[in-house]
Amino acid sequence: MSLVSGPGRGGASTGHVPDEIKLVVEKHVEYIQTLDTRQDELEYWLTEHLRLNGVYWGLTALHLLGHPEALPRLATIDFVLSSQHESGGFGAAPGHDAHMLYTVSAVQILGTVDALEELDRRGKAGREKVGQYIADLQSQETGSFAGDEWGETDTRFLYGALNALSLLHMLHLVDIPKAVTYIQNCANFDGGYGVSPGAESHAGQIFTCVGALAIAGRLDLVDRDRLGGWLSERQLPNGGLSGRPEKLEDVCYSWWVASSLAMIDRLHWIDRDKLSQFILQCQDSEKGGIADRPGDMVDVFHTVFGLAGLSLIGFPGLVAVDPI
Amino acid sequence: MGKYSDSTEWEDVDPIPQDDGGPNPLAAIAYTEEYSEAMSYLRAAMAKDEKSDRALGLTEDIIRMNPAHYTVWLYRADMLFTLQKDLLQELEWLNKISLKHIKNFQIWYPYHVPQAGKAEAYGLRRHHRQVVMSHIPTIPPTETAFLALMFAKDVKNYHVWSYRQWLVRQFSLWDSELPYVESLLQSDVRNNSAWNHRWFVIFARHMDPTKHSIKNGDADSEVPPEIIEREIEYTKAAISTAPQNQSPWNYLRGVLGKKGMGLVELKSFAEQYADLEKEDEVRSSHALDFLADVYAEEEQKERSGRALELLARRYDPIRKNYWNYRRSLLGLKQVGA
Ligand SMILES: [Zn+2]
Repeated sequence: MSLVSGPGRGGASTGHVPDEIKLVVEKHVEYIQTLDTRQDELEYWLTEHLRLNGVYWGLTALHLLGHPEALPRLATIDFVLSSQHESGGFGAAPGHDAHMLYTVSAVQILGTVDALEELDRRGKAGREKVGQYIADLQSQETGSFAGDEWGETDTRFLYGALNALSLLHMLHLVDIPKAVTYIQNCANFDGGYGVSPGAESHAGQIFTCVGALAIAGRLDLVDRDRLGGWLSERQLPNGGLSGRPEKLEDVCYSWWVASSLAMIDRLHWIDRDKLSQFILQCQDSEKGGIADRPGDMVDVFHTVFGLAGLSLIGFPGLVAVDPI
Repeated sequence: MGKYSDSTEWEDVDPIPQDDGGPNPLAAIAYTEEYSEAMSYLRAAMAKDEKSDRALGLTEDIIRMNPAHYTVWLYRADMLFTLQKDLLQELEWLNKISLKHIKNFQIWYPYHVPQAGKAEAYGLRRHHRQVVMSHIPTIPPTETAFLALMFAKDVKNYHVWSYRQWLVRQFSLWDSELPYVESLLQSDVRNNSAWNHRWFVIFARHMDPTKHSIKNGDADSEVPPEIIEREIEYTKAAISTAPQNQSPWNYLRGVLGKKGMGLVELKSFAEQYADLEKEDEVRSSHALDFLADVYAEEEQKERSGRALELLARRYDPIRKNYWNYRRSLLGLKQVGA
């Protein structure tokens, strides 16, 4: 899946915003389908290191749009398996080193197209080994997860690990209480969570921390009112959501903020109509795709998170999404 | 024909072209020639686990073209340590490309690149820097100047902040950080990253990172009381310069939580910015929020409810469901739309 952006821009065609903007489902499906025909563009190879994530985003977008068949299932599985290493881990594309993020994407993709058993049938390593690859990246000392053997830790990896292991039914391979303690260490004085202990609260990191706690069955540890207060404060007067105080709104936070709120049962603390208006203003209603904000180029990353945000707040015409 | 295929330095190497996974693959790769050639030599060098100066040069070349390719960074770090290269020189190179990358992002990426790709490039450089730095015994004098330049470009860059915290822990720089934070807050009192860093250098240093104790509300006896008082005064002064600024209000709640004494002691301070009797003159929605909790602490439910009503109806209506929820906790009814 190509991460080439454009060609269209979100909401740029008309200066005037009509009261009611429609979600252009068919256009978005077409947009995602044509991404892979753009291999002659420079940006295509510059984003190769994200390819497997790109496939996951495109696939998820198509599922949300109710067109899961628009991406050929077998070719998708083949591509995923071609990125696997003997260790069980996956790289971003064939020839790239294995890394937690891509291994998680691979498991998510295979889970989405109901093909996890293909790992045992024709993967370079079966399910057991994939689970073990992920589990081995947990630090015995802190409970956090590294992205690769080089040991960088990030709550993104911790969430990804638990998410993939739960899809594989292999959560027993890791030390859940230690991971939970690590997340608690990332909690901040303002009610949010950061990328590591002491780091500034950030909506993306909050999603990973709350998501991991949800999978671990430990949402009881979250101060829901305080976190919900912080998250709802991210909504700006134009309806869009930002990731941190004093930062601009961006469509991708529609997902990080709203899904975190949903996980703690506080989604109604934001104005859902205003949010859906904002997301719709970011779509290119002629060529499909969604941008980070009106006037910018569309891309698959913001397309999927915009659609997921809309689905979460119950926008009609989309398949319902699970906040975790 | 190409930079590497024409070079005598690389003539012993058979480049390994991209194997894109069979005929008509979902994600067949279309490289431009220069990058594609360099990558084929990289694959060849990595296949025989070559660790050499020329391979280091090759990684430099590829990083110049695509700083978000993580494999090449890992390979480079591995070679640096095996060949026992001068790490200060590596830092110097890293400084150069980091600053250039920020300045000329549009030259590096002629098209708009998805945010994730940009973030990835930042993350990889930060990680590489951290790996290199953890092999250097004392902090090089150029490091803070470099960070200052990075912040001059974007003072809220999450990766740079995260690296800075790592650096403070690694070299125990706690004491010199506070004046720096103050200079940042002086130039922008709304910089939430700087407020967070202030918390980090004052309170996180007293924290055992393996134990859970940072959360707001955990009274912390290890922080000296005079520091708590100093922080309260500092924050009050910051609020007085810009009352409608959420960061210091959050910070103030955090500090009071450390003190473990509740919010009531700052009641008259907050009332300067929000007088319930003068609805038109409210200067800070955060003061209203704060006072709602103060009055609730004092069991003045009606007053607390009135502050929440002002927020729901007038000063923060986009979050009226949140404020109404707070009213419901007091047993009060909802404020209508
Ligand atoms: Zn974004």
